[in-house]
Amino acid sequence: MLLRCLGAEWVKLRRSRIWLVLLVLPVFSALIGFANYWMNQAILQNGWYSLWTQVSLFYGEFFLPILIAICCSFVCRLEHVNRNWNVILAAPVSTPTIFFAKVVVVGVLLFAVQLFFLVLYICAGFIAGLHAHFSFPPEVFGWIMRGWLASLTIIAFQLWLSTRIQSFAVPVGISVCAVFVGLGLYVSGLGMFFPLSILTIGMGVLSQESLSLGELGTFAVMCVLFVTTGCALGIRHLTRAGL
Amino acid sequence: MRTLWLELYKIRHKRLFLMLTILLSIELAWGFMAVSTSMAKNPDATTWSAILVTITAMNGLFLPTGSAVIVSRICDMEHKGRTWKLLLAASVSRKAVYAAKFVSAAVLIGGAVILQGLVIVAFGIGYGLAEPVPIGLLLRFVAGTTLTNLVVIALQQWISLAIKNQAFSLCLGMIGGFIGMTASLFPPQVGRLFIWSYYVDFSPVTYQYVNETMLFTTREIGVHLPIIVVLMGISFYLVGSIHVSRQDV
Repeated sequence: MLLRCLGAEWVKLRRSRIWLVLLVLPVFSALIGFANYWMNQAILQNGWYSLWTQVSLFYGEFFLPILIAICCSFVCRLEHVNRNWNVILAAPVSTPTIFFAKVVVVGVLLFAVQLFFLVLYICAGFIAGLHAHFSFPPEVFGWIMRGWLASLTIIAFQLWLSTRIQSFAVPVGISVCAVFVGLGLYVSGLGMFFPLSILTIGMGVLSQESLSLGELGTFAVMCVLFVTTGCALGIRHLTRAGL
Repeated sequence: MRTLWLELYKIRHKRLFLMLTILLSIELAWGFMAVSTSMAKNPDATTWSAILVTITAMNGLFLPTGSAVIVSRICDMEHKGRTWKLLLAASVSRKAVYAAKFVSAAVLIGGAVILQGLVIVAFGIGYGLAEPVPIGLLLRFVAGTTLTNLVVIALQQWISLAIKNQAFSLCLGMIGGFIGMTASLFPPQVGRLFIWSYYVDFSPVTYQYVNETMLFTTREIGVHLPIIVVLMGISFYLVGSIHVSRQDV
């Protein structure tokens, strides 16, 4: 049943040109990060790591959460129009399956975006000539994967918001506010307790130090906890609320 | 005028001003925390200029984002409700609706900017700044921010009404916020190509680092920049209005 729901979600997405948004935001943040690295090479002398600090800063801290919010609003947009939620919920498909299908679709899109961002990062490094002087940091793959796992936590909560709120823009606005709350919590050392700060930790945006085994365990547990909570809230809303 | 009242009537339950206030509250809380920390470390920087510079830089991020969200909500209700046909059948001109939407967004966001100015004054007085309230600087700050906002609204409204999928207008708003935030990193000739960098360009106060210390100086904006921005605004508005009026509903 989940596969059928995924197929239905795909049909809704395929001519939507959402890929334009998915491509533009990472390209934009990589370009600005690369330009900043290029102009400050005298200070940024740690090769690939320095480049990562520049390209991932705006992407992981600002663009990725907002991209997630836009994607989540987008996958709920058609359902909000003309009270289509009633049509969907009247179909012989369980409510959790409908919600999980949306989580999976946005998750897959975001995985593709993460891979695209990795390609952009590698290209930027090659253009800057880093491959000649520095070895490629293997941690990057971990940052990309952990970034994606943390993205799933944000996806679960954003989907909950997007199913609750009819407006396309409001969940995106909330996401912008949450970015700053997350940054505040990260600075206060409470990063593991908020999905957006988990993204900062997972992607190594502000600190490239490797996570200890304990921190990795906490990271994984918090990701699972947040995804479960977000999904539970979303499914509960779809099941109980009058749509 | 009737269209404007109807527009305000349509958005009366949408809590747009509340949303804008929450967004700007987060901005101000963040900005005031940064200013307080900086002032505590460097008592020489305990000035109104420090507050204005910080808030102007943060406005570059928050106001394009807030404008994108507000304008998108005002415009999306016509797409979602499929009301264009209804409006045309009621002999309402699309240019009048376009103007009414522009004015209502401008009033909302302009009101929020004025409120922001008042909160800055309250913070400065509450913090116990020794200097008197710089009314001239504050008025120039509000005027510059509002003028830039009007152009941003015109651009956002064009995209929000022309393209039904609001993901694109919000994406533009986010890119605008990003450019606004990083405006000071661009060379001036490049920065002035983007309307979002004018939040910083219109700041009545600027700063430079001398021996790792921030020195604030007031500056005159002149008439050229505002004229360029007004022309940009008129262009975006007219192109948007004509484009949307000619679109098939």
